[in-house]
Amino acid sequence: MNPFAKISSLAVSGMRAQAHRMQVVSENIANVDTHGYQRKLVTFDNVFDRTSGISRVEIDRQYLDPAPREEVFDPSHPFANEEGYVVMSNVSIMTEFADAREANRSYDAGLEIFQQARQMYTSLLDVLRR
Amino acid sequence: MKFPAFQAAQSYNLAKTALKSDAPGASAALSPQTNQVKPSPAFEAAHNLAKTVAQREQAAQSMMAGGADPHSVVQAMAAAELAVETAVTARDKVVEAYQELIRMPV
Repeated sequence: MNPFAKISSLAVSGMRAQAHRMQVVSENIANVDTHGYQRKLVTFDNVFDRTSGISRVEIDRQYLDPAPREEVFDPSHPFANEEGYVVMSNVSIMTEFADAREANRSYDAGLEIFQQARQMYTSLLDVLRR
Repeated sequence: MKFPAFQAAQSYNLAKTALKSDAPGASAALSPQTNQVKPSPAFEAAHNLAKTVAQREQAAQSMMAGGADPHSVVQAMAAAELAVETAVTARDKVVEAYQELIRMPV
């Protein structure tokens, strides 16, 4: 397997992971006002591929943020408890946007590596072209 | 007498056939010509190229259907593009060598 194919495979695995992270962030943002929602987090894992000899990044697992959820006083809410409080989500929009921005930057980095590898290969071929 | 340029042109011809036809049929049809059981490296290379291009076509199809992971599609298409570019560059070099010989005054 040529190194450029390996590089593009690696870059794509990173991009896929970051896209998944973005998906989790958008799930959190979509559920910011859902009562009882726990914020989701994702961890990545390094997986060595024996056939091609490269270690890709893969999604390890998703887990729920154990941070306390906000309790809002709203007796008219159908899920309010006896004291009139409703447990809302523990999603903070600020944190989610920061996370989204981070995923975006990492995605861009992967894309840049992909393009660089491609450019390197094209320049190598140009040697033959004269 | 060994004639590398001629062999190169022949290999190119093999490559062209391999791209057009299916793998088992093509190797069966080509083995009497190359006079060996094992397919030639040029044939192998051409067949690999054909496979890459076929993967690209499949990826493009599934992308149009909307079901595929876009990352895999882009990766497959970029790989196929590079493979084709490599093959074209190698072919150009071979044809160029052949033409140099043709132009040689005898």
